[in-house]
Parts: sequence; C-alpha cells; structure tokens
Amino acid sequence: MGSENEKPTFTRMKTEESTVIASHRSQFMPSAFIRILGRKLVQQLKDFFLTMQEFFLFSVRAFMAFPKMIRYWRDVLDQATICGTDSIPIVLVSAISIGALLAIEVGNLLEDFGAKTMLGRSTALSVIRELGPLLMGLMLSARFGSRNGAELGAMQISEQIDALRAFGTDPIAKLVMPRLVAALIMFLPLTALSDFAGLQSAAYMAEHYHRIDPGIFWNAVYPRLVAKDFVVGFLKAPVFAIIITLVSCFNGFSARGGTAGVGRSTIKGIVVSSGLVLIANFYVSKIVLENM
Amino acid sequence: MIELRNVSLKYGEKEILKKVSLTVQDNTIKAILGPSGVGKSTILKLMLGLIKPNSGQVIIDGTDITGMKESALYGIRRKMGMVFQGNALFDSLTISQNLGFFLRENMKLPQEEISRRVTEQIQFAGLEGYEDQLPESLSGGMRRRVAIGRALIFKPHMILFDEPTAGLDPVSSKKILSLISSLRHHNNLGAVIVTHIIDDVFNVADSVAVLYQGEIIFDDVTEKLHDANHQFIQSILSDKILEL
Repeated sequence: MGSENEKPTFTRMKTEESTVIASHRSQFMPSAFIRILGRKLVQQLKDFFLTMQEFFLFSVRAFMAFPKMIRYWRDVLDQATICGTDSIPIVLVSAISIGALLAIEVGNLLEDFGAKTMLGRSTALSVIRELGPLLMGLMLSARFGSRNGAELGAMQISEQIDALRAFGTDPIAKLVMPRLVAALIMFLPLTALSDFAGLQSAAYMAEHYHRIDPGIFWNAVYPRLVAKDFVVGFLKAPVFAIIITLVSCFNGFSARGGTAGVGRSTIKGIVVSSGLVLIANFYVSKIVLENM
Repeated sequence: MIELRNVSLKYGEKEILKKVSLTVQDNTIKAILGPSGVGKSTILKLMLGLIKPNSGQVIIDGTDITGMKESALYGIRRKMGMVFQGNALFDSLTISQNLGFFLRENMKLPQEEISRRVTEQIQFAGLEGYEDQLPESLSGGMRRRVAIGRALIFKPHMILFDEPTAGLDPVSSKKILSLISSLRHHNNLGAVIVTHIIDDVFNVADSVAVLYQGEIIFDDVTEKLHDANHQFIQSILSDKILEL
C-alpha cells in the first residue's frame, strides 16, 4: 500500500519539477541564447575586421618592400623558378585537358546547329578570356600557394621568422616580397602558355574528333580575336599573382599551434585564395568587357 | 643595459605580465626563473621589441623602444643576440651558412671577414668538421651551440637565452652552461637567461628574477634566493625543477 501511495507523489513531484524547469527554460533560454549568439557574432566580426586590418598592413608592407628587390634578387630568381618553371607541367596538363574537353563538348553542341566551323572562335574566346587564366590561377593557388603556406607556416612555428626579426632582417622583405615579384613576373608567361596549350589541344581534337580542317579552325581563331580578349585574359595574371601570394604568405605568417596549425593555415590559404581567384575572375571579366 | 619599467601585457583576456620591472646591467648574467607558460619567453621578446607591451616601457641602452617602428628597431636588435628555445636555425642552410647568414644579410663586411668570423664561431662551438652539414643531422646540444654561435657572430653587447638547457642531456647541458659562463669572461658579454631549472641559475647567474603569476616576486643576487620567504620560492628550491 505504502509503495502504491508513494508512486503518485513521486510522479507528481517529477511532473511539478519538470514544469518548473520548463517554465524557467521558456523564460530563460531565448534571451540567454540570443545574448550568447550576439556576443559570439560580435567577437567573430571583431576578429574578422582585425584580420582584414592585419592583412591590409601586411600587403602594404609587401609592396613597400619592392625597392629591396635588387638586394634580394637571388630570392626572386629562386621563387621565379618555383612558381614559374616548376609549375609548367601542372599548367600544361590542366590546359591541355580542358582545351580538349572544351573542343569535344562545344563541337558536339555546334554540330546540332550546323555551326561546327565556329568551334575555333568559341574555343579561343573561352580559353583566352576565361579558362586559360582561371585554371592556371587555381592550379597555382594549389601548388604555389600551398608551398608558401606550408613553408612560411613551418618557419613561423619554429621561430625562424622571429629569428629573422631578432637579428635585424625584415621577414616580409626577405620572404614575401620575392614571392610576390616572382609571381607577378611569371604568371604572365604561364597564362600565355596555358592559352597556347589549351588552343593547341582544342585544335587537335577539332581535327581528329570532329574532322574539322585545321585551316578552318585557326581561321576562326586569329582574325576574330580582338585586343579586349587578350586584355581580359592577361589582366587576370597579375591580379591572381597578388591574391595567391599575399593570401598564402599571410596565412603562413599567421600559423599557430604546432604542425596541426601549419596544416590549418595552409588549407585556409588555398581555400581563401581559390575562392578569391574565382570571384576576381568574374569581376575582371565583367569590368573589362563592360568598359572596353 | 636593459630595463623594463612597469610592463604589462595581455593576450586577449589573459593577463600575462602585471607591471613587471627589472634591470639587466651590462656584463652581468641575469636569470629569469619561473614555471612554464608564465611569460618568461615573452619578456625576452619584449626586450627585442618583437612584441609590444600594453603599458610600460622597454629601455635599451637609454633608448625607449616601446613605441619604435619595426624598421627603427633593427639597429637596436643588433646590439643583442638571441638564442631561441627551439634554436630557430634555418633548416635548409648548412651550419656555415646559418652562422654567416645575418652577417651577409645585414652587415656590409667583406667575404674574408665573414669567413673568418664563421670559422671563429665554429671553433668556439667545437663544431669543426660539421661546417657543411644541415642542422637536422646534428644532435640537440650541437644545434644549441650553433644557435649560440649565430647569436655571438654579430659581437653583441648582450645575449638572450630562452631555456638554454631545456631538452638536453646532462652532458650537453653542462657544456652549454660552461659556454655561457665563458662568454662573460672571454667576450665581456652580458646575458639574460630564461629558465625553469634552478641549477642553471645557481651555475651561471649573478642575479635572478622570479616570475610568478605575471609578477616579479624576487629580484636580487642569486645567493639571496635561499633567504626569500615567498612560499613559491621555497617550494621551487626544494623541488629544483619547476613543473614542465
């Protein structure tokens, strides 16, 4: 009997307790949640603007170090080899494959309209204005950007960058400026190479897959290309060089927290620079095509 | 002479240093003792101007470097040599290149003079035969000696050591400590040693400052450390090595 009497009491107590907690929660939770969320949001915004400020100052210092180019010419040459000569294979592979693919797909599409002879024109525009520089930018973001992020990140966590500063060497002039100069110099020929390889592979596929005479293909390419097409394509090279180098180097310099931190900063550098390359690609095309 | 006047530093909300004041006289060896993560290495970075305090002054040979621009600090920094805890040697350069790196970078010296100084430091550090090796092929003690040689090659007035014997075996530690002692006698150098090993302090330091919870709780000649009444100092004297 006793146990039977206790049960309802205990259940009632539990129910009352739950009701009290629930009513407290209903009063407490939304305002506390909003407050915490607001605080976190404010903190994240603050961090974002602080990072932007640091990145801006970092970029200014990298450009201000340009007069020291003569002093660090050996470093500039080393970096030109790394981002230029050593990047040729990956740029060629990506350009050849995209040029070939573009020729096959666009050729198939034009065939439906009986306009296969326009394949050269459409391929040339796509490659020179957009895909050549864009693919080169993405490939170099992965190759050159990751190298910068990992190398400088490792130097940061092993205090080598602090050592440079401690012994009176400006680490931005020594490590960032040569990379930036080298990228600005080398991205232009790499863009030209990417365009050339892309068009050659497209011409090859046009001849052997779509059976288009090379004369017809190239005749649709050269006479119809105008200055604007080259400006759009080649203006992207320095823009991408600045984005990839500064973002990856800044992330390397910001690496914290051991080897895992180097990994995080490298990934962040590649993701951010690739995203910015895609955005910049759109805006450069839009601005130049609207104003020329 | 290096002087810190009421220096405070915060990392975010965390207060690392609270109104720290200390002086390092020329030609003396000063130790900064404290547990790991208390801000000892931060003091060395403040002395070099690698980080700036939130308040207070850092004065090097009578010059207040607190508000100085980075470019103006390079000249001041060359008066001091720094031996980093992890050595911070350039891993892609050979021992000789590491030793001569900053001479080539920052001083307009003829190649013969650079080579002479590099050879001098190789001999001083007892690293003959290792000139063309990369740092990764050396033992921890040898790397530390290269780092000391790199700091000395400038002929600085003061040398800053961040945990000079941390991670070394007893024999290497002894060699490093005798090397530090010999600097004052042979090179007329002053030094600041940051450490958590009390034996190091008694072996080489003229004076010691104890850093605890962001404050200097003792700053006097080393011999007087035994007379200090602070509970923390008494506990570290009995334990000899502070918690890692």
